[in-house]
Amino acid sequence: MKKTINIPIGSQHIALLEPVRFKFECENEKIVGVGSDVGFVHRGIEKACTTKFKFDGIGYVVARVCGLCAITHSMTYTASIEKLIGGEITQKAKYLRILLLELDRVHSHMLCLSHTCENAGFEAMFMRIMGDREDIMEIQELITGNRVQFDYISIGGVNRDIDAAQAKNILAKLELLKHKVLGYIDEFTNNWSLSLKFKGIGVLTLDDAYRFNTIGPLARASGLQADVRNEIDYLPYDEVGFNMQTHSDGDINARNLVRLSELLNSIEMCNNILEGLPEGEIFTKLKGKPKGDTVVRFEAPRGELMYYVKGNGSAMLDRVRIKTPTFSSIPAFSHVFMGADYADAPAILASFDPCLSCTAK
Amino acid sequence: MLTSFFKAFTNLFKKPQTIDYPVTSIEKDKEYRGLIEYGESECIYCLKCEKACPPGAILFVPVENPPKNEKNKKGLKYHYNPHLCIYCSECVRACPKPEEALWQSNKKPPIGIKDDKVNDGWFELEKLKKV
Repeated sequence: MKKTINIPIGSQHIALLEPVRFKFECENEKIVGVGSDVGFVHRGIEKACTTKFKFDGIGYVVARVCGLCAITHSMTYTASIEKLIGGEITQKAKYLRILLLELDRVHSHMLCLSHTCENAGFEAMFMRIMGDREDIMEIQELITGNRVQFDYISIGGVNRDIDAAQAKNILAKLELLKHKVLGYIDEFTNNWSLSLKFKGIGVLTLDDAYRFNTIGPLARASGLQADVRNEIDYLPYDEVGFNMQTHSDGDINARNLVRLSELLNSIEMCNNILEGLPEGEIFTKLKGKPKGDTVVRFEAPRGELMYYVKGNGSAMLDRVRIKTPTFSSIPAFSHVFMGADYADAPAILASFDPCLSCTAK
Repeated sequence: MLTSFFKAFTNLFKKPQTIDYPVTSIEKDKEYRGLIEYGESECIYCLKCEKACPPGAILFVPVENPPKNEKNKKGLKYHYNPHLCIYCSECVRACPKPEEALWQSNKKPPIGIKDDKVNDGWFELEKLKKV
């Protein structure tokens, strides 16, 4: 006689932001087997990139892969085309790109943290973080002209400049936000519903993090020093005060704390950029068509994002391959669920911050 | 415990964080990326905007009664689809006469309703373009 019961979570579930299905094989309350299905929001973007659009418009197409890391997608694609064409962009454009990447990281992490609170049953904290997230959305609207789809990065630089009055306004808002984030750190370390409840739940050890090639905040919470911002040279991350944030526990609480300290680091980087923004042009016209192939990596809010672009010297590309952070982390996700209580599954899933529209593209 | 009670009590007298929308209007940013606007008399019909547009929301289609403009030798008319546009302003950057012939406003797009033939009308224009 079969002793286990199969319980699914998803594809539609009240704790999920996007459709994903996990099939749990449960023995009493313990999960003993996990199966996953992530392809519910497939839109055929990779195919569209090679058949419908010319290479100079694809930066706007891949930004539609995901609403939360839109800027990282267009940034990675643009960097790969710039590498193929062989152009150099100005220092100011590079700094403005980092500014937007970091603001994007801040609002993405805040969404994740608020979602974690909601899963802990702490609705008031969810409302508070989502309300404070509006400040970041306003800053993004001020810089780019839109709240979610920035369309800010184009091949050769950025599309808009910021003036002194805007910079002052943004600095004031970031200062306010910094105090709010310090308040969150207090709540996440001292409040029972957010800290003690999450300690020791959904643990990923350092060895397992190595074994499953984990990336992003998930790896850093386990103590693995994995951050693409430390390894690339397209953008001057070492000049703006980047510090890698790691934790050693590997549980949900550790992931929350890593995200919180990354928030502080990102805000500090934005401050540094706005205060020391170099003079110069924001756009350099690059001529030529992409020929050859290249691989470019960037750190999206959820981990390493990789683009493989192959061009043949014409306006249409041969191949655009997108490898998204959530896709790479699925083996680790499945491993963490093993041995956990079924009741903890939604909270563990929320702490991974999965992005399914990225994964299915 | 006491402080949380005190906070909860004071929160009763706080204003809500949301905007009371239909009563209070939402402030629109001056630099908000909105509709693309077109100055017919200043256009030189170089068709750069049409080529630059990523989703293909600008079409110059030959018509019987084209707008009177000495630069318009092929008898073309400008068509713009606000529902297809992604407001990236690539067309404005490609335009040789920005601010005069083509510019970006901060107006919101209209609501697409069936009577306007949002889809079918545009598909017919696209067919004309391909011929």
